[in-house]
Amino acid sequence: MVFMIPVVLKNLFGRCATRPYPQSPRQLFAGSRGQLINDAGKCILCGTCARSCPSQCLTVSRKEGLWQYEPFACVFCGVCVEACPAGSLSQLGQWRPAVRERERVVLKVEVKSEKSGVRSEA
Amino acid sequence: MAGTILPFGPQHPVLPEPLHLNLQIEDEIVVSATPAFGYVHRGLEKLADIRDFRQMIQVVERVCGICSMIHALTYCQGLEELMGIEPTPRARFLRVIWSELHRLHSHLLWLGLFADAMGFESLFMQLWKVRERIMDINEATAGNRVILSVNVIGGVRRDLDSGQTAWILSELAEVEKGFSAMSRTILHDYTVQKRTRGKGALSRSQAMELGCVGPMLRASGVSQDMRLLGYAAYGELEFAPVVEQDGDCYARCRVRFAELGQSIGLIRQAIAKLPAGDTSVPVKGRPPAGEVVARAEQPRGECLYYIKANGGKFLDRLRIRTPTFANIPALTVMLPGIELADVPVVLLSIDPCISCTER
Amino acid sequence: MQTTALALAVLGAALLLGGLLSGLDRRLTARLQSRQGPPFTQPFFDVIKLLAKERMVTNPWQAFSPLATLSAAACALLLFAWQGDLLVILFVHMAGGVFLVLGAMASPSPYSQIAGQRELWQMLCCETLLFVMAGALYLTTGSFRVSGAAALGEPLLYRLPLLFAAFLLALTVKMRKSPFDLAGCHHAHQELVRGVFTEYVGPHLGLLEIAHWLEVVLYLAICSLFWATGPWGMILLPLTAFLAVIVLDNVSARLTWRWMLGWGWGAAFVLSAVNLFWLKG
Repeated sequence: MVFMIPVVLKNLFGRCATRPYPQSPRQLFAGSRGQLINDAGKCILCGTCARSCPSQCLTVSRKEGLWQYEPFACVFCGVCVEACPAGSLSQLGQWRPAVRERERVVLKVEVKSEKSGVRSEA
Repeated sequence: MAGTILPFGPQHPVLPEPLHLNLQIEDEIVVSATPAFGYVHRGLEKLADIRDFRQMIQVVERVCGICSMIHALTYCQGLEELMGIEPTPRARFLRVIWSELHRLHSHLLWLGLFADAMGFESLFMQLWKVRERIMDINEATAGNRVILSVNVIGGVRRDLDSGQTAWILSELAEVEKGFSAMSRTILHDYTVQKRTRGKGALSRSQAMELGCVGPMLRASGVSQDMRLLGYAAYGELEFAPVVEQDGDCYARCRVRFAELGQSIGLIRQAIAKLPAGDTSVPVKGRPPAGEVVARAEQPRGECLYYIKANGGKFLDRLRIRTPTFANIPALTVMLPGIELADVPVVLLSIDPCISCTER
Repeated sequence: MQTTALALAVLGAALLLGGLLSGLDRRLTARLQSRQGPPFTQPFFDVIKLLAKERMVTNPWQAFSPLATLSAAACALLLFAWQGDLLVILFVHMAGGVFLVLGAMASPSPYSQIAGQRELWQMLCCETLLFVMAGALYLTTGSFRVSGAAALGEPLLYRLPLLFAAFLLALTVKMRKSPFDLAGCHHAHQELVRGVFTEYVGPHLGLLEIAHWLEVVLYLAICSLFWATGPWGMILLPLTAFLAVIVLDNVSARLTWRWMLGWGWGAAFVLSAVNLFWLKG
């Protein structure tokens, strides 16, 4: 019992290890695997990401020009980012915020001609 | 009270995961204990039918979060053996570093949960506070806190620069200071001793017969450690398995506590000897074919992978034998005859992880 | 009329004090564990929320027992405020404890039934020590009345130091703190889930929580008898005892009821006996 007393007293007068989340969120380290984003300007709709994805959360449809992503199925392993030949995929240094509704990211990609990106949630 | 049946789990505050035990109790003494499983079976081995052998790396990482790095390591080593690939020396040392970081955070997590099982909440909080530094190292070096996802066939996906290795060493010094301050409480505190000494004792022969692995077996006096096989870079590092003789909960606690220091020593050696070079070799050619058995030492003991491949994208068969599964039979021997109050302590002493038991 | 108003005021003050002490307990425990902890007023919000919830009982005893426990605790506290007989106070308080056990035993759940038995063991330990203490009060002051301690002229602690140590054990048991949080602890993280409180929900659990506040206040009030020479002693001694119990909770694991009955109670009983003989001799 006595061995623990100095430890708890040090805790009492020291800084606490917890923080009032979400008022003061924790900053992620550089290189953390955060939110996945696709730069529609660089995407060539080759489908390599969809084929490499272990959780199959990506669907690429060349015919409709759509890149679709299920953030709730994604495991944030970063395999697609490394597989992407065009370098259009990247992971931000922050996590996706908590939401109340299920989200699906649908990105309209136009290859070759003028490029534009639209993000809609359904 | 005669003949009470106490349902311990699948939802019970002491258990982090859904294990069901039917405890038959007389006057708060356990007469018999029947474990039941199947609450978190996810069929991960069967997923090999629809995920190709590369995607399976991420799948096997999810067999168990706490041992994720070593699951992927075992799987990749098996495939490398099948495909005749030799990972680069730097990759082998990096694998040791991340493996030992995993062992560290797993053992600290276990020590915390063990303290909580005997109602020592402040020790639990203190150990988890120390553990948080390891989680930070994991996140800064691999990108994630728990599921590192650093292994690929032929090496690792991330590298450590000299700044990062220096930072890891300084953080590890703090971690060592943190858990050393707890050593007297964990090893010599009266109340802790009262709750762990002589509880759930297994003799050497019992532990062998019941098929125990890892710290369970080492606490009963058997010096068995898969790292002695010399996989990854373990063959080039110096260490000796931690062995205790008593085989009770206290001995298991001592083994795991001593392994914290051992892991830190191994990381320091690996960083000191870290060779220069690439982190992975390019994998070309046909998918793997043939059969292989891969073994590695997880924080909880020996993990065994049987892989059968046919030269196609999908594996024929993947069989994972997790250490937690091997340690469950010991419960049926240890639980009868102990007090109800000691059930959480004895149960936690095998370091149960139901998601990897059931896969 | 005036007495009723005064009684209500005493109970109100005790409620406020009990809730704030609970808040202090949670905050201090958190800080000792390197956590931030909830605001001091959190226990009040928790109880208000519990009281506003839907009523659910498995049988009528579960509805009646919390009321009986709460009334007994309130009566005992009022008797203390009116400087009554310590023996009567202890008997009334004990009746409340019996109803807590009855409520727990009324449900077929093995958790609350086993915890009910453990609660009986705890009462055996606590109440015998308190009765010995009442006896010592009589031997020292010549009266079982609470007012006797103040009339003594010097702190009772000087005459009963070993009994005070035994009383601290009873206080730890009553505050449901490690190493004696056997029959129900504050955070539902033991083998019996939350012990005697496991099968209670909503308003009934809220009433039991309030009863627990009042019991802690009563025990601290009894503790203040050990230094009843002035207001400072009567505040500082119970506060020190309260803080000591919280620190003890954070430096020890939970022990078993067999240990409590053998070593804990045995040691406390020997201490009390030695003190009594020393007092007589």
